[in-house]
Amino acid sequence: MTVARAPHISSPGITAAPPTASTTSGGKLVLRGIDKNFDGSSVPALRGVSLTCAPGEFVVVVGPSGSGKSTLLNIAAGMIHADAGEVSLDGKPVDGPGPERAMVFQDHGLFAWLTAEQNVEFGLKMLGVGRSERRDRVAAALAAVHLTRSADKLVHELSGGMRQRVAIARSLVVDPKVLLMDEPFASLDAQTRTLLHGQLQELWLKTNKTILFVTHSVGEAVRLADRIIVLHSHPGRIRREINVDLPHPRNFDSRDIGELVHVVRREIEDEVNRVNAIGAEEVWKPQAAADLGAPADHLGSGI
Amino acid sequence: MLLLTTWEAAYRTIGWRPWVFPAPSHVVDSLLNMLNVNTAFGEPLHARWPRPETPSTAKAKSPVTSPLVIANVVSLTRLAVGFAASIALGGLLGLAMWRLKPLDEFLGPLFLGLQTLPSVCWVPLGILTFGINETAILFVLIMGSFFAIAISLRDGLGTIPPLYRRAGLMLGATGWRLYRYVLLPASLPALTSSLRQGFSFAWRSLMGAELLFMVERHGLGFLLSTGRELSDVAQVVAVMIVMVLIGMLADRFAFARLERVVHHRFGLLAAQ
Repeated sequence: MTVARAPHISSPGITAAPPTASTTSGGKLVLRGIDKNFDGSSVPALRGVSLTCAPGEFVVVVGPSGSGKSTLLNIAAGMIHADAGEVSLDGKPVDGPGPERAMVFQDHGLFAWLTAEQNVEFGLKMLGVGRSERRDRVAAALAAVHLTRSADKLVHELSGGMRQRVAIARSLVVDPKVLLMDEPFASLDAQTRTLLHGQLQELWLKTNKTILFVTHSVGEAVRLADRIIVLHSHPGRIRREINVDLPHPRNFDSRDIGELVHVVRREIEDEVNRVNAIGAEEVWKPQAAADLGAPADHLGSGI
Repeated sequence: MLLLTTWEAAYRTIGWRPWVFPAPSHVVDSLLNMLNVNTAFGEPLHARWPRPETPSTAKAKSPVTSPLVIANVVSLTRLAVGFAASIALGGLLGLAMWRLKPLDEFLGPLFLGLQTLPSVCWVPLGILTFGINETAILFVLIMGSFFAIAISLRDGLGTIPPLYRRAGLMLGATGWRLYRYVLLPASLPALTSSLRQGFSFAWRSLMGAELLFMVERHGLGFLLSTGRELSDVAQVVAVMIVMVLIGMLADRFAFARLERVVHHRFGLLAAQ
């Protein structure tokens, strides 16, 4: 019987920098003082958001819907221009989308007229990579996501999880410095999601890419992240940063993760309630969430 | 088949006159005669049936130079030229309307309006502008079909998921390569439907134009018109059947097949 340990949670500055791998491949993504206002909206989507991803770091941005987390990611991708602030990758300013900041979309965005293999090949073709090198790299990328046997399938013949794996392979094959992931597993079932969490973790440990990952799922964030950024909404601001000091690779069923999820969830509970209350018609306070608590705290209590 | 048999049987029992309303057998005769094949299925049964009872004295001519074959060649050549021009013009304008909002706001309602105009209504303008010649026929064909192509192409392009564009840009498809490798293939379902629709408009416009223009080279519409002038109802019906057949065959075996291939590729059939 082990003694329940304190959750592995700390504030930035207190703990050392998260364990990062070699920095040879670069991939330091810096967002500084990002403001974004969408036309016709009275509240800015983002205000003064600053965020630095160290090379090889896995950063997860968590926030309720409408907190501007996808906007933040799209600004990092260069798909949306910020009203103020700057984005840079390894010191070079970002002014448009490009393969060094490859993105995985929630709805995969695979090209329906191409096979899985051709989708993965697409980015290399655009980069002007030669035919034989292309073939090797595509094969390696498909093998990395365990889809070698589905290479010739059309997109509509693949399952949801397989599509996301192709999308990940397509982004990794161009050897980006940063991988941007916009709720990539949100539309998958729980089993598939868990499977893909494992695969992504494995890929990340193998490739050492910097990953900026956006999700509304605290569980997902705790499983994957070195560091969790909690976004506040209306306007979108960084509310908290939480370092996750659990070692990789992680066992997703471990009690540590369960406990940490519980703690982080409590951290952002106010925020979720506040957002929910914004949509309510009258003065309505959500009741305190029915919290099952951390399993370790109550195990066997009342017997 | 049952209908045709009943029709033929009723015809033979009642004894209508073929110039009032023909039996299927008369239509077959007319069709074969236009192919320089001399038959008389429509005559009452006799020893030489289905050859005419009184053999024709004229020398037999090759079916290759028969009026129907020539008319088909003439009409299909016009169709090919006119439809190609229509695709080029409609395609360009559809693309421009999709890219440039002000142009779309200006041309969109105009094209929608003009599309409702029956294509034969372009005939007088064609005659006054170009005279009674090939150019005028092509003018009517193009005017009758390119609005439809432009409009349906614009609508189809508008339905391309914006995500494709973002994914393409993210993977480094910039400038013309975004069009060539992402937007063009993404618009294939729209393109094929717009071609299919454009073709049916083009074919109808051409037949209308040929019916009204008496120019040197004689298309199918001219044969139809001749049938009317000679009060040869069987010929009129026979030519109409040929027109329907060509339209249907082109649609079924070219455009519908193309559409099916594209839809299969895109997984659009899987939902059905």
